[in-house]
Amino acid sequence: MTILEVNNLKKVYTTRFGGNHVQALTNVSFTVENGEYLAIMGESGSGKTTLLNILASLDKPTSGEVLLNGKSIVSIKEKNISKFRRDNLGFVFQDFNLLDTFSIQDNIFLPLVLSRTSYEEMNNRLKPIAKKLEIEDILNQYPYEVSGGQKQRAAVARAIITNPKLILADEPTGALDSRATEGLLRLFKDINNEGQTILMVTHSIKAASHAKRVLFIKDGEVFHQLYKASMTDEQMYQKISDTLTTIATGGERK
Amino acid sequence: MNRFFYMKLAYINIKKNSQTYIPYILSCIGTVMMYYIMYALSANKDLDNISGGAQLKSILFLGSFVIGFFAVIFLFYTNSFLIKRRKKEFGLFNILGMEKKHIAKIICFETLYVAFISFVAGILGGILLYKLMYLLLLKILNFEITLGFYVSTSAMFTTLVLFSIIFLLTLLNTLRQIHLAKPVELLKGGQVGEKEPKTRWLLVIIGLLCLGAGYYIAVTTESPISAINLFFVAVILVIIGTYCLFTAISIAILKALRKNKNYYYQANHFTSISGMIYRMKQNAVGLASICVLATTVLVMVSSTVSLYSGMEDVLRTRYPRNIMITSQGISNQHIENINDSVSNILDNHKVEAKNMFDYRYLSFLARQEDNTFTVDSDISYSTKNLINLNFIPLEDYNRIENKSLELNDDEIFIYSVREEYNKDTISIFDKKFKIKDKLNSFKENGWYSSLIIGTHYIVVKDMNVLKEIYQTKKEILEKNKSNPSYYLGFDLNTDEKESIAIYKNLRANLNEKYPDSFIESVASEKESFYSLYGGLFFLGIFLSILFLLATVLIIYYKQISEGYDDKIRFEIMQKVGMSHQEIKKSIGSQILTVFFMPLVVATIHIAFAFKVITKMLAILNLTNISLFVWCTIGSIAVFSLFYAIVYIVTARVYYNIVR
Repeated sequence: MTILEVNNLKKVYTTRFGGNHVQALTNVSFTVENGEYLAIMGESGSGKTTLLNILASLDKPTSGEVLLNGKSIVSIKEKNISKFRRDNLGFVFQDFNLLDTFSIQDNIFLPLVLSRTSYEEMNNRLKPIAKKLEIEDILNQYPYEVSGGQKQRAAVARAIITNPKLILADEPTGALDSRATEGLLRLFKDINNEGQTILMVTHSIKAASHAKRVLFIKDGEVFHQLYKASMTDEQMYQKISDTLTTIATGGERK
Repeated sequence: MNRFFYMKLAYINIKKNSQTYIPYILSCIGTVMMYYIMYALSANKDLDNISGGAQLKSILFLGSFVIGFFAVIFLFYTNSFLIKRRKKEFGLFNILGMEKKHIAKIICFETLYVAFISFVAGILGGILLYKLMYLLLLKILNFEITLGFYVSTSAMFTTLVLFSIIFLLTLLNTLRQIHLAKPVELLKGGQVGEKEPKTRWLLVIIGLLCLGAGYYIAVTTESPISAINLFFVAVILVIIGTYCLFTAISIAILKALRKNKNYYYQANHFTSISGMIYRMKQNAVGLASICVLATTVLVMVSSTVSLYSGMEDVLRTRYPRNIMITSQGISNQHIENINDSVSNILDNHKVEAKNMFDYRYLSFLARQEDNTFTVDSDISYSTKNLINLNFIPLEDYNRIENKSLELNDDEIFIYSVREEYNKDTISIFDKKFKIKDKLNSFKENGWYSSLIIGTHYIVVKDMNVLKEIYQTKKEILEKNKSNPSYYLGFDLNTDEKESIAIYKNLRANLNEKYPDSFIESVASEKESFYSLYGGLFFLGIFLSILFLLATVLIIYYKQISEGYDDKIRFEIMQKVGMSHQEIKKSIGSQILTVFFMPLVVATIHIAFAFKVITKMLAILNLTNISLFVWCTIGSIAVFSLFYAIVYIVTARVYYNIVR
């Protein structure tokens, strides 16, 4: 079943006083199936972040459409958009985006509280997640008291506690050391194996090599894609880095 | 060249930080100006010629002292705020290769610039505004306005010295902070992971005790004498309590709310409460300061305004007639002599006496216990339950009030001032009297209105009763000089100048013949009343402006610093799924609470202080409580309005930063 469908997405930024137009996305189309684990790769300035912002409904495309479960998210009215985001999407950011004013537990509860979930319900949901993510011991601590890896696990917990249709991850390993990166990627794999759809934007080959499919974006267009199929992580890593070399040296589209 | 570089950099720095520096420089100029003006006024020699000029000058001098003291705290506080905001900038300089001594050099130049601008603009503005203030003061004091331009070099010198010290202190404090900090810490600046504030139970308890004690004192103090002493104790307790309230009690309350899961985990409470905990941590001291300042301003304005506008009332209470004579001795001969002297002098001046009234009386201080009044040699003004008793024969009372009341030997009428007497009987020494009636009017002798304690006017059957009481009193207190006396009061149908001349004549004449006489004239006292009350009024307004200035600046800085902190939170919440409106609502309610909390607490303080302030005003002869009520309500209204305007303006700055 297709969960996300992106058709002919185009985004042009205009500087404040008119004049310069910057084309961030030229023409992007792809689909994501339910239960998929998709990585989108591209160099800085390739349009990855713009794409993610549009998928996250934080930004609107100039043209084209995005369908989540067959419903267009481009046409959602401004006042419903936050609720839509809360109910359907989970976010994991490079810099964690945890609020210093909340304990880890309250940070995880934040989207549920906004959806007016009862305390018992929130607690019931948190228990298994906290156990799985190994953050039970730090629930009452504050973001500035725990390590980067723990913060990112807390952010993942916040993303999945709402049972979103899709998790959007923006460079989730960008601020982590290699051990924490390893742990987080294993975690993503685990929750994906349990059926969670994940869309990850990254330029870390290591992170991408864990995904089931990798999309390459260049100059605002989907340039290429790779399926992992039965490859091991190492083989996938090799394949991705070959592709990146080809793209960087100006290879033809396959 | 090198030095030139630092000078230029310092200049650029100030310019780049104009959003925070301009208000700082303006407030420096403002305080310099006000200090100069106040000091110059207190040193003005012309004021010596006014009657009561000495006390006026001492009031003004006290004012300049308060301003100076305040300036130290205020400028120190704002400067430390500025530096906190700029730490990142210094860290960047440090990383780009500047040593700390170079940074120190830049900061020295910056301080020098600020000091220079403040001195030049402040003193120039001071000299210009001085004249205006002087005219205003004279107007308030009801004096004729003299022209002329006046520059006080002593004031200039003192201002220069005081503010040089203040600037030097702020500079040293900044250098100390820069010196202690590590470059990385500097670079992180204000945004070092804010720890959640702990609940400091000790402070909570101290705060509650102080507030409770302060309020208790303010509410329970009955006697005006103890009001004066206890008022300052209460003020200090309440100030301590206020600081504890904002720093510790607020956090304790918020944390208790957070513990209540069902309340806390609701969409509109969730972000507000946790946000407030941090806000209170960062702003508690600033808010407490605003609260204390606001309370001070309100008390000052309301009491000085009501004193000043109630002055005519006060004068009339204190001096019911234009001329008042009291003289010891009640023999017919004595009374006749005095009346003769008075009419002689009035004839000489070709002036007539009006509204004349006179009576014989006996007055002394007594100690009240239940319904018994006694005297002993220990009695002094610090004695508890002290009361002034004033006995008048019925004959005189009936004459001056045009009545024909009757009394038995053991019956009296009573009329009370400042105290209530609600019993049926009264024992004076061992003699018991029945109170036949309470009088609801009496031609008061103004003198007692200047006493802090209450007075009972007691009308007795005749002179025999009065003399009997006198004898008993005399046996107990041999040395006490309060003998039966004669009181004479009358108005004059002439102007104040003539009144004063008559007063001087009377005084010379009567004091020579009867040294135990005492003469008062409203005309001669008016000036010194104006000097005192007008001076207080002027000072009240002047200091209020200064404190308002401080309040505005603290609020402004608070908004800016919060804006920068909230910006990040604002973005995260939006990403997690909070809508624009929800964020705006949450932040709006937080700011509004934080902003108006000091005002609400200040109003509560005033409500509790109200009673004790009226007691103190009563000492200054202002008994018109409704006037004071209106002045208080008026000043709260004006202050709130002003506060709201400041809020709207600064909130705009805040939203611009957050957006």
